[in-house]
Parts: sequence; structure tokens; C-alpha cells
Amino acid sequence: MLIMKKTTIFSILAVAVISLTSFTASAQKLVSSTTHFKFFSSTPAEDIQANNYKAVGTIETTTGDLVFSVPMQSFEFEKALMQEHFNSKKFLDTKTNPKAKLVGKITDLSKVDFINDGSYTVDLTGNLTINGVTNAINEKATIKVADGKVSLMSKLNVTLNDYQIAFKKGKPSKNIAKTVEVTVHANY
Amino acid sequence: MSTRKKIFKIVLIVIGVGILIGGSVGYYMFNKPARDVQNTKTDFSFNASELVNEYLTNTQKANHKYLDEAGNSKVLEISGVVANISEDFNGQKVILLKSDSDKAGVSCTFTPKTNANTQNIKIDDQITIKGVIRSGASFDEDLEMYENVIIEKSDIVSNK
Repeated sequence: MLIMKKTTIFSILAVAVISLTSFTASAQKLVSSTTHFKFFSSTPAEDIQANNYKAVGTIETTTGDLVFSVPMQSFEFEKALMQEHFNSKKFLDTKTNPKAKLVGKITDLSKVDFINDGSYTVDLTGNLTINGVTNAINEKATIKVADGKVSLMSKLNVTLNDYQIAFKKGKPSKNIAKTVEVTVHANY
Repeated sequence: MSTRKKIFKIVLIVIGVGILIGGSVGYYMFNKPARDVQNTKTDFSFNASELVNEYLTNTQKANHKYLDEAGNSKVLEISGVVANISEDFNGQKVILLKSDSDKAGVSCTFTPKTNANTQNIKIDDQITIKGVIRSGASFDEDLEMYENVIIEKSDIVSNK
């Protein structure tokens, strides 16, 4: 009888441990459900913005690893001509480099409680690749947890010259800011 | 009126008309509307699997074939089985065409104008969607997953 009990307890424990580990293993990496990347450039001449809802991202809640892949041709501008300039060889050359990529890490992940509701400002460092050129980035991000759903917001300041993006002359060179603001919002 | 004055007048009119035409062409170019994808001729028609496999075999070659330098990429008609229906951050409907045996699918985003046409679409329906390609399918090492082909400005062509 005693032996029986022991085996039962052991098997219950074993099942509990196995199901717990498999649960955490599957819960580690979250894939984005909806995303929004906004490009915003401001000069005295004009403000230009473009929106992109087609990026895919992952966040690893145990390590803080963060990835975004952004299809560049999905940036929509108000004016068709601006969109064509944006995609062109002179600017982002999206035919050659159809995707931009952010591979980063949240360095102070211990702050974040992924179980209970809350909002946390964290440090995000990593590499941003645009136009085939990679640069290190160091930005703040906000992670929100609400009803078990995780979302992330950040603002990246992108200096176009760092990514070899520049109009040599003409109107676009005056009307586009040297540093543009890229706002990121992702729901996981 | 002297001949000289007459010539001067004509030249002035010609210049004036030239400026007017040039100006309006320039103004039109600057404000030209985005391409109406649904009223653009379809460049290629195929199954979702064919497009996905073409991309997975040689991404660069496929990009060269389908993407356009100015972003006015190829207009495609894609047939496939509906694997998922969702909505993006902008309230646009997104239908994923993917067969179970494929590693990636074709994700088609609709527009405020065409969203309503997805109303009667159900999972497992066999449908054909027309739209513009934005990027192809590939395995991303950092995401550790396959990315779908992205189609935007979509509408339903046929729903069998």
C-alpha cells in the first residue's frame, strides 16, 4: 500500500514537472500578432510620414532577445511619388534589400514581470540593418503586460547617412531630415 | 502691329502655354495617386505553393523577378487554401493562404475598400486573391522561423 502511494505521488510529480517544463519551453518565444512601424521625417519644408503594418517580430521572454523583420516595400506614403523615391536605388533600394532587420536584446530584462500586469521602461541594444548596412543601436523601449498579453513600444532615431541613404541633390535632399524617427509598436 | 511685335506676342503665348503645361504636369506628377492595384493587369497567376517554393529555392532570383525598383512590384493572382483569417494594426483583414505541407504561406492584406469582401470567407476555403507583392518567403535565422510572402492591396477574385 505504502509502495503504491509512493509510486502514485512520484508519477503525479513527474507529470507535473514534465508539463511545467514543456509549458515554459513553449512560452519563451513570443511571435508578434500585429505590428506598426512608422517613419517620420520633419524639416522646415515639410513633414513626411509612412506607415508599415507588415513587420514580423519575436521576443524571448527568458533571455530578452528581440527580433524584427520589416518588409520595406510595405511602407505606405501619402504621395505615390514619395513612395517611389523611398524605394528607389538612390534611397533605400528595396529591390536589392527588401527587408530591414533589428536584432537586439533587452539588457535589463530582470525588471520585467511577464506574468502580472505592468509597464516597464527597458534598455534595448543591438544591431539595425537597413539598406544592407548594419549599425549598433542603443534605445529605450517600453514593455507592457496586460491580461497576459505582451506589447512593446520603442522609438529609434535613424541617421540616414549611417546607412548610406542620402539624396545627393534636388528637392528630396532638402525635404527629408538627416535623422528620421522610426516608431515601433508590436503586440505579441 | 509690326512683324516684330507679332513675333514677340506669339513667343510670349508659346512660353506661357509651355509654363502652364509644364506646371500642370509637374503638379500632377507630384500629387499623382498611388497605383490602383486592382485595376492593374495581373502579371502572374499561380498557386500559393508554387510561389512559396520558388522563393524558398532561390530568394534573390525571385526578388529580381517580382520586385520593382520604385516599389511598383508585380501584381499577382494567387490561389490557395485559407489557413488563417486575422486583422492587422490598421484594421485591415489578412488572409493566409497556405497548404499544410508547405513551410510558408502567402499572407494577403486587404484594404478599407475590400475588407468587406472577406466576410464570407472561411478557413479551408479554396480562393483566389489578387494583390501586389511586397516581399517573399524565406527562412529567417534570427526569427528562427519561415516568413510568409506578403501581398497587399488585396481583393478576392474568386471564391469557389
